[in-house]
This record gives sequence, structure tokens and C-alpha cells, in this order.
Amino acid sequence: MRQPGAYSGLLAGGISGKTGPHSLPLARIKKIMKNSNDEVKMISGEAPIVFSKACELFIEELTKRAWMMTLQAKRRTLHREDVASAVMNIDIFDFLVNLVSENSGKSEDPQPVTEA
Amino acid sequence: MEEVPKTTCTSWTAQQAAGNFSNNSTGRERRHPGNTTTGLVTPVVIGSGTNDPNNPIPHQTFKREQDQYVPIANVIRIMKRILPAHAKISDDAKETIQECVSEYISFITSVANEKCHQEHRKTITPEDILYSMEKLGFENYIEPLTLFLNKYREQDMERNSVLAEPFTRRAVRFVQPQQPAPIAPAPTMPTVHHQNYIYPSAINNYFGQTMGGNGECSSSSGAGPTNAEFNPYAQFK
Repeated sequence: MRQPGAYSGLLAGGISGKTGPHSLPLARIKKIMKNSNDEVKMISGEAPIVFSKACELFIEELTKRAWMMTLQAKRRTLHREDVASAVMNIDIFDFLVNLVSENSGKSEDPQPVTEA
Repeated sequence: MEEVPKTTCTSWTAQQAAGNFSNNSTGRERRHPGNTTTGLVTPVVIGSGTNDPNNPIPHQTFKREQDQYVPIANVIRIMKRILPAHAKISDDAKETIQECVSEYISFITSVANEKCHQEHRKTITPEDILYSMEKLGFENYIEPLTLFLNKYREQDMERNSVLAEPFTRRAVRFVQPQQPAPIAPAPTMPTVHHQNYIYPSAINNYFGQTMGGNGECSSSSGAGPTNAEFNPYAQFK
């Protein structure tokens, strides 16, 4: 388990090592980066570190937005549908549209329609 | 079209035949490693020649490879920081966010990689990542990320600096062999990448005191035990 205050540790400069107070494991981030594209060859050592922070910010933003949907529905449990609604509502999350609509079991992909 | 529920175990024979059977089973379905990160339930043809080209098994199964995502525990922890104490998170929401993170990383990386490619560079740098974020609409992340990166680089420089005692270094997962430092403060030390620090526990033992040179030293003790076995300074004991 990570020690408490890992987040504040980051801001206060308590970065003591690769396995230290980063919220997300750097090796895993690196693996995901490499999986994204066969052409990705080399990744600077600092890149996963930037991503660990960026993903934190991303999770926080997505969670906040999803929670707003939960509140609108007068619930206290955040469901996948709330995440999906948040994704639909926000432009910068467009790249997630397929992901959340696949997961929700509904096909939101526009089907090709032949005009008669 | 109803997807196969994720918790259903499917098609073990196909997986075994394909030789893709791995031990990180979490009771969830797994995804073929070669698959894209988008979409949890992309059907995959197993046994399409990886291990047995003469006998391809045209089975389809849905797998969820945990290696393609950041650990869900970390995701949950970050979510809980944001949500009020009474809030609950459903399991499917946790998994969805976990997938979104991987998709986010892939998305940004692709754009960053394209930039590198256009500029005939091979290595993706943090600057490429920041550029991609701005381009894709995440410009409000740029400032906190820049601050974070600068702070990290400052500390990295401190750690690498000649003035820093070798005892303020820390170990990470692995240690590379390097020439042991003399007992007296060395005028020069080999400049090492911050990944290769040696944990100072051995030094602490030798000198009989905690190296409290700076705040980082004492905070490292939490990470100590795993690295204490390696003792490059044993000869000085």
C-alpha cells in the first residue's frame, strides 16, 4: 500500500524514487504507452512520470463529472452510466465515446444508413 | 447486441492451445495481448498461429488483460480523493474509469509519437506529451504538469549533483553494479541515472546514525526493507 499523503508528498517534493509516491506504477504506464502503437519505440524516462500525474488529473476530472451525473440522478453510487453521461457531455472526452458505449452494451455507433 | 458478461470464464481450451495462458488470473476474462486497448469486449480469435500454425482454433473469447490497465486499486484511491466520504462507486464504474485511463494514455501517446515522427526523433519526451495534451484539449493540465515536472527535475538534479553525498541516494527496483564510494566523502562520484541509486541503509548501519541530510532521506525509510539486502558497501564494514 502506498503511504498516506502520497499526493501531498508529490507537491511537497517528496519524490524519493521511482516506486515512491507516484500514484500510478511507471512500468505499467510505459507498457500501456508501448501498446498504444507499434511505432512507439523509445520513451524518455520522464514521460511516464508526467503521465502518472496527468492520469491522476484525468481520473479526478472524469470522476468529478461523473459524480455530477450521479447527483443529478439523486443517487449516491457512481455507476458506469454516469461515467458514460459525463463522456457524452464533454468534448475533450470524445475519444472515450466508443469505449463507454461498448461497455454499456448499447451500440451508440452511427450505423451506415442507405438512403432510399 | 448483448456482450458476454465480463465475469464469465470462457474458452479455456482455446486459451491453453494458444499458449496464452498466464497466471495473473483475477477471475476476470482476459484479453489477447495483441489487442488494442479500446473496448473491453472486443472479440479475439485465439490460436491464430501463435503457437500452432497448423491447427488454428477459430474460437472467439473475451478477455481482459490486467497488464493493459493501470492497477484498479490506484484508480479507486484517486477517485475516492475526489468523492465525498459517503459516496460509493460501483465495480463497473471503477473498471470503466480504469479503461478510460489506458485509452487516455494511448491517445496522448499516439499524437506525441506522431509529432516525434514528423520531427524525425525517436524518443517521446515530456514536452511531446504536453504538446499533445494542449492539442487535444487538455490545456488546463499543462500548468500543473509543468510545475510537477520542473519540481521533479530539480530534485533529480539535486540527487545527481556532485555535492550530494552518495548516502542520500535511494534504491529502486533494481540496482546496477557501480564502483563503491570511499568512506570519506568522495570528491567525485560516478554520475548515475536516478534509477540506479543505492539505498543508504548499509551506510546508516555503518555510521550508526540516520542520514538525515535532507528530508528525502528520512522519508525513504518506508521503502527500505525491500532494498536492504543489497549491500554494496559491505566491504567497508
